[in-house]
Amino acid sequence: MLEIVIQGRGGQGAQTAGALLAAAFFAGGRHVQSFASYGGARRGTPVSSFIRVDDAPVRVRCDIERADAILCFDATLLDGPLLATAHEHTLIVVNSGRGPEAFAQALPGRRVIPVDAIAISRRAGLGRIVNSALLGAFARALGDPPMATLERTIRERSPRLVEENVAACEAGCRAVDALCVARAA
Amino acid sequence: MDAVADAVADAVAARTLLLTGNEAVAWGARLARPQVCPVYPITPQTPVLEKLTEFQAQGVLDAEIITPESEHSVMSACIPASLAGARVFTATASQGLLLMHELLHYASGARVPIVMANVNRTVASPWAFWPDHTDSLAQRDTGWVQLYVESAQEALDSVLQAFRVAEQALLPVLVSLDAFYVSHAMEPVDVPSQTEVDAYLPPFAPPRRLDTASASSWGNVVSQDMFYRHRVALQEAMDGVPALLAQADGEWQRRFGRGWGVVERYRCEDADAVVVTMGSMCGTARVAVDALREAGEAVGLVKLRLFRPLPAAALRAALAGIRDVVVLDRNHSPGAGGILHQELRAALYGAPEAPRVHGLLAGVGGVNVPPQRIAAFARECRGTTPRPESVWVR
Repeated sequence: MLEIVIQGRGGQGAQTAGALLAAAFFAGGRHVQSFASYGGARRGTPVSSFIRVDDAPVRVRCDIERADAILCFDATLLDGPLLATAHEHTLIVVNSGRGPEAFAQALPGRRVIPVDAIAISRRAGLGRIVNSALLGAFARALGDPPMATLERTIRERSPRLVEENVAACEAGCRAVDALCVARAA
Repeated sequence: MDAVADAVADAVAARTLLLTGNEAVAWGARLARPQVCPVYPITPQTPVLEKLTEFQAQGVLDAEIITPESEHSVMSACIPASLAGARVFTATASQGLLLMHELLHYASGARVPIVMANVNRTVASPWAFWPDHTDSLAQRDTGWVQLYVESAQEALDSVLQAFRVAEQALLPVLVSLDAFYVSHAMEPVDVPSQTEVDAYLPPFAPPRRLDTASASSWGNVVSQDMFYRHRVALQEAMDGVPALLAQADGEWQRRFGRGWGVVERYRCEDADAVVVTMGSMCGTARVAVDALREAGEAVGLVKLRLFRPLPAAALRAALAGIRDVVVLDRNHSPGAGGILHQELRAALYGAPEAPRVHGLLAGVGGVNVPPQRIAAFARECRGTTPRPESVWVR
């Protein structure tokens, strides 16, 4: 079972991202369970979204205490409580303009992939709405769901600015590719 | 390759939708074709109402949706609508259910087969939104049948089974689902077709109803004798519910290929210890039981789906020969402890070779209970003499 935590601030689209990612895994034939914090959540306060993905129906119904992958919408949230859910192999994709070296220094031993989703989203005409860009990057880094499935899900579920969201998703994916190429070189 | 996989997945998804527990409840209600739905919003139940009104706006739910000023008034609208012969559905949670309390007694006394979904949420104060069964368990003496479900799929199926049982027994039914882990958890749900559901659940045809064409009323003052006989009849109706639910579930299983039982035994073969719980924690307990079995420990799970009427005979049968019963109560009755713990001990009292019953207050207030903790609780209980009172654990 793959367990994912998405951490953002109320209004950033972390919950929508969780629902989109779950829908994309489901469209790929996987069993999913996705839930998000609610009720006390307000604009700007930390909001979490949790996703479980498996080949069999997901039965467990409790919090995710150890995540295999983390998508963090705001680098200021990448601190103690969130990192406590990570183990040494946990993939962490974070929305940040800082380079991978900065995170390697700040968080030694962690697998952190920074993506400047704000810059990508602005270029795509989405302003500060970063969820499609981050989803593209996250799915690429994770290797699942396939980019075509994710794009189709975003296309089907975007209420407006459909092409802009798809473009941001693709750009997020390319940003991760570029990082990998740079690392290999 | 992806395109082919996607096409196959699409074909499957034609009837398997990705739904939250709340959306599954609304789908269940829609398929039951209710005629009247009085509703009042409350977190975390509000998405049920949003979905129902969306269905109505799309023209796929032909129900009168009434929006009174409180949950008390919601139940006050449900009762006469049902007495007049309409199929009635509503949903609430926590404080809303508590505000209905007076009318819950009135509804069962009026023998109205209302079906209501309740999202189990902590009761104030302090204010919170976490899963906790105290809200609905505090209604255990109101004469409502009570079901507790584990998943969105079971929520959808249970709303439809509930209508069938309610209308046969002429009793109101509460279908409870945990906040967060079920109400707001999105997962694949098989949605049956309207034709299939229509064949399972015929239109509501009460033996008598309030009708202006033939004057009658409900709620007049009665003598001691009439009240007494009315309560005897209410008890008899309740006593018939476990068999009616077993039938309704058996018929569902025959038609749709899945059933949920009344009391489910999971991996209880030759078990010397069994975890007993309700609602979403059952899913987590299954994972714990699988891990314990893999480690060679003979531990099983008994899932209590029907809490009222308490299926005492079925519970005694399910727990016969078990040495240790570990009750996980996600509720709290101050001064008494866990409500399921009390009920289960009462049901097992005097049974030959009754098991030792360990009462654990686990998950109260929505505290996280992962599979490893449940496995640890089971292990600890097997080596300890149970205390008479419930024990706080986390």
